[in-house]
Amino acid sequence: MRFLIVDDSSTMRRIIINTLTKLGYESFLEAGNGREGLDRLGAGQVDLVITDWNMPEMNGIDFVRNLRSTPQGKSVPVLMVTTNAANADVAEALKAGVNNYVVKPFTAETLKEKINAVASHA
Amino acid sequence: MTIATASLVDVLVGATTDVFETMVFRQLVPGVTAWGHATRPKSQIVGTVGFAGSSTGLVAFHLSIAAARDMTVAMLGIELDEDGLPDAVGEVTNMIAGAFRTRMAAFQDAWAISVPTVTVGSDFYIKPISTGDRVIVAFAMDTHQLFVELIITPNADAAA
Repeated sequence: MRFLIVDDSSTMRRIIINTLTKLGYESFLEAGNGREGLDRLGAGQVDLVITDWNMPEMNGIDFVRNLRSTPQGKSVPVLMVTTNAANADVAEALKAGVNNYVVKPFTAETLKEKINAVASHA
Repeated sequence: MTIATASLVDVLVGATTDVFETMVFRQLVPGVTAWGHATRPKSQIVGTVGFAGSSTGLVAFHLSIAAARDMTVAMLGIELDEDGLPDAVGEVTNMIAGAFRTRMAAFQDAWAISVPTVTVGSDFYIKPISTGDRVIVAFAMDTHQLFVELIITPNADAAA
């Protein structure tokens, strides 16, 4: 399974990759904002997208809205990893096309459960 | 319902220790809590996240460069140079502020938070222009001392 990880923080991208590696995954693409994420998605096969919300240039919500309007991004599972934990935030993300939501800080077990949940509906 | 001022420290300590246990894989030991504006923690790198809503203020995370290096190694498994440390400190500050915000929402205290800002240096201090509460909590991480600072002013319009 190949992941696209979209986050402006190189630290958070590294944390997510380390966690996924511990979970047994091996293939990752990285992007620093939503616009880069769309470019990466157009460059090759991606099986699951993990994106932050608050990013410069194009935030996670606009990224997912744009993603859902492309043929290759229409049905790819999207997991949002963010500190925005209010009910209204979750509702907005789901409305934009996010499939599931992880609130930081998170454990490897939580990430695994959410990946399994979104992957099973792909 | 609003949270009692003394309980703010419990919420802040809970949010901070949770971030360290979950994401940094280090136990933090809470130490002295200092209220007011007299305390100025010694640090070399400071992450800040502002918030606004039913309360306004900021969360600041103070630590030395040596502590930031050890924290980063524990969190990422790699050593970053000084150019990479601000991003790591900013992300940890972001998670502390986010966890604090999430816990405060249970008390109907709802905020939006800013993206983190990181300042590197030692000859400065944060001077709030508001008249709200200010508290600094010291933590021990192995041999390092870290500080989390909260400056908070309830919004009178939101409380009305």
